[in-house]
Amino acid sequence: MPVPKVDFSQSRLPNGLRLIISEDHLAPVAAVNVWYNVGSKHEVAGKTGFAHLFEHVMFQGSAHVGKAEHIALVQAAGGTMNGTTWLDRTNYFETMPSHQLALALWLEADRMGTLLDALSQENLDNQREVVKNEKRWSYDNRPYGSWVEKMLGAIYPDGHPYHHPTIGSMDDLDAASVEDVSDFFRLHYAPNNAVLSVVGDVEPVQVRAWVEEFFGRIPANPNLPVALPDMSLPARIGSEIREIVPDRVPLPRIHWGFRGPLFGDHRLDALDLAGQILAGGKGSRLHRRLVREERLAQDVALFSMGLVAGASVTAGWATARPGVDLVQLETVFWEELEKISRELVSDDELERAKALTEADELGALQSVHEKADRLSMYATLFDNPGMINDILPRYLSTTAEEIREVCADVFRADNRVVMTYLPAVAEAAGEAAA
Amino acid sequence: MTTEIVVAQRPTHGEPRPYQFPRFEREELDNGLGLITVDLPGRALVTASLVLPSGAVDEPDELGGVTSLMARALTEGTARRDAIELTEASERLGASLHAEAGWDGLSISIEVPAERLSAALELAAEVAIEPSFPAAEVDRMRDERMNDLLQAKADPRRRADDAFVETIYAPGSTYGRPSAGTEATVPSLDADACRVIHGRRFDPAKMTLIVGGDLDAVGEDIRAIVESRFGAWARNPAAEPPGDPRTKPARDERIVRVIHRPGSVQTEIRVGHLGVRRKIPDFHAVSVMSAILGGLFNSRLNRKLREEKGYTYGAGAGYDLRRGVGPFAVRAAVNTEVTVPAVQDILAELEAMRAAPPSTAELHAARDFLVGVFPLRFETPPAVVGALAGLLIHELPLDELDRYRPAIEAVSDADVQRSASEHIEPEKLAVVLVGDADAILPALEGAEIGPIVVEREELPGQEPGPGAADAA
Repeated sequence: MPVPKVDFSQSRLPNGLRLIISEDHLAPVAAVNVWYNVGSKHEVAGKTGFAHLFEHVMFQGSAHVGKAEHIALVQAAGGTMNGTTWLDRTNYFETMPSHQLALALWLEADRMGTLLDALSQENLDNQREVVKNEKRWSYDNRPYGSWVEKMLGAIYPDGHPYHHPTIGSMDDLDAASVEDVSDFFRLHYAPNNAVLSVVGDVEPVQVRAWVEEFFGRIPANPNLPVALPDMSLPARIGSEIREIVPDRVPLPRIHWGFRGPLFGDHRLDALDLAGQILAGGKGSRLHRRLVREERLAQDVALFSMGLVAGASVTAGWATARPGVDLVQLETVFWEELEKISRELVSDDELERAKALTEADELGALQSVHEKADRLSMYATLFDNPGMINDILPRYLSTTAEEIREVCADVFRADNRVVMTYLPAVAEAAGEAAA
Repeated sequence: MTTEIVVAQRPTHGEPRPYQFPRFEREELDNGLGLITVDLPGRALVTASLVLPSGAVDEPDELGGVTSLMARALTEGTARRDAIELTEASERLGASLHAEAGWDGLSISIEVPAERLSAALELAAEVAIEPSFPAAEVDRMRDERMNDLLQAKADPRRRADDAFVETIYAPGSTYGRPSAGTEATVPSLDADACRVIHGRRFDPAKMTLIVGGDLDAVGEDIRAIVESRFGAWARNPAAEPPGDPRTKPARDERIVRVIHRPGSVQTEIRVGHLGVRRKIPDFHAVSVMSAILGGLFNSRLNRKLREEKGYTYGAGAGYDLRRGVGPFAVRAAVNTEVTVPAVQDILAELEAMRAAPPSTAELHAARDFLVGVFPLRFETPPAVVGALAGLLIHELPLDELDRYRPAIEAVSDADVQRSASEHIEPEKLAVVLVGDADAILPALEGAEIGPIVVEREELPGQEPGPGAADAA
């Protein structure tokens, strides 16, 4: 089954806003998707968590939209919406019944152009509290919830833009003034720092007319692009980093982390396939050995989070069964990583991994939101929305030798972080179990 | 002034493109197996789901969790292949094969590129008709469930969900425990128990295969494929029909149950009581009412607790609509210091929902959302097939989805208030709090919400040590 090619057109408004349109009339729905080229990596010391804070502030109103009214209008129109923040970028998106497309475009334009007209101390204080509760919920009050923060802290050196997590420091958020937050907005949230993708049951001429009408007069920011510090890193961490993490968990879990190839590098495609062969489902090597045969682990995982500068994160874990010798668990996990770094995967393993990847791609591209998000992503990160059609052929062209090679480069003792979560008494979390 | 750089006037909307839930056809094989096909042109990743309208509801109390375990064990091996051979065969097709059971239903589902549907259905049929339930694999999965129960106790969210249903349902009620079983029932489960329940439930005449996607791209006649894969499956006269869920409330008055989690930075709050069945006459009014109360982003609960007070990342409420009377719950996680004010706000919103009809704006917001979002819900085959499975599981008429939007549009403000008055019972609310009891209790005792029960159990992951005295 050939995965259908995504046809799209692209243009740029005089103010720099990049517009990508792709028609898909199967369902009466339309996706609007804005990527701002601002992520937590753009935050400076003492002002972390700002990109994510905007994921909240962007719903607090703008010149012609009241607090929380953005969501009210989208939902009343039968649409859905959200925003997400990542180290490299933030995105904001709506999926609408197609006859309500103009509303979503207008809402995105209003906040891009006039967010600061509505930013108040009261709204900032309110959303700061919401974000603190998000951190408590997603990180602090969740078993093993600190692993991402700890892994980024270990893989990237202090001061590197990827060193801190998107949620940022609560002290920094507490210290943030309306002026600090406004400065961050003025710098980053400009049309020449954004990609707008519109996908679905849409008429391109009409879409372009609306986009010009709604976004056309928002001024570009001449101070863009923002110069980032040098993000390059040695391909490997240099020496093993080990940490014991006492946590309120019943079962020990070992988390591994590695520096991996950059997003966009074909070697990361090969590493993704390795992840599928090692830990993607119950036929995979680690699952078979650790969960099914030797019964050392309750679950296993191994995957990469692609990033565009320095190094990506390749991460894995295994949750120990009760009473299991953690040394043995770690030994078996590592044996499998060494084996795939040494010996070629079989033709059958590779074909299965590719067949699943192809089906995943087919499924993902059935959603207008997913198509829009990927077009925005490839345009923002690689200046090449056409990559949406290149990725699958790249996966399918990957050879067993390429997989072995990238595994040998990444899965090395001098490139690994090993964090072992151990059950600990709540009040004595600092010293118990260490 | 920045306002002139954007258009002040909100755009009006265009003409809605006509939409109806995708048409489907229902037929029956000679052995009684139902077949529903729904053609979704352009959707080349096809979903096929074999649905049994019977789940954990129909298992004996002492075997709690056996249906869930049996369903997951279906893909652990068949008369012809072991688990690894099955998985590999499915992966070669680019297919994902999955079986699971919930309270009211069980499904064996496969997603596969259209032209390989026939080969994928061969695997699904094998799993349904000839599962081998290898003892060693079933034992492993049972042990994994026991470990999962340990994890559930340590996770404040899951701890609160489990404690909540245990609090509101009387012992012996269906739904008063996790559907996958408890520490008391899971240890006794094994391959024989799976085999028995499979023999008692599986019967082609009581099951339906739903196939959704681009049927032209399959390249063969669907009925012929299904005949060849499932046609020889013999009826099972011993199979029992789904029974009636037994649901009784644990009490008729309020209770506040605090589960101590020392040092917890948040309190997981659940407030509610027994709700309603899916199949009730005022289903559509209940849907609008719960959207206003706790379904929409701008629901009363989220507006108050998040957007006004900043107490939480999100607050919501809803009825879990099942074949029997499922739970009604308000859910929020709030920072510890504001636990009691948050509970008081929740109680006030529940009272207010009954006290007066919603504003016109609220009514329209909820109705417009539910009606407008309907086409978005069914963009892909899994969603369409899932909705059809829901009709079978709840024994709803086949035109239920066509009647949905007009019925929602007809809900009035009086209907909403009536459904709130009937289905929210403030005097019967259970309040379950998983958080730091020492921090919460002084204010909680003064708030006079209801009789308080505090549990200072040893949480898993807490070994005796310095500080354990506080938790004892």
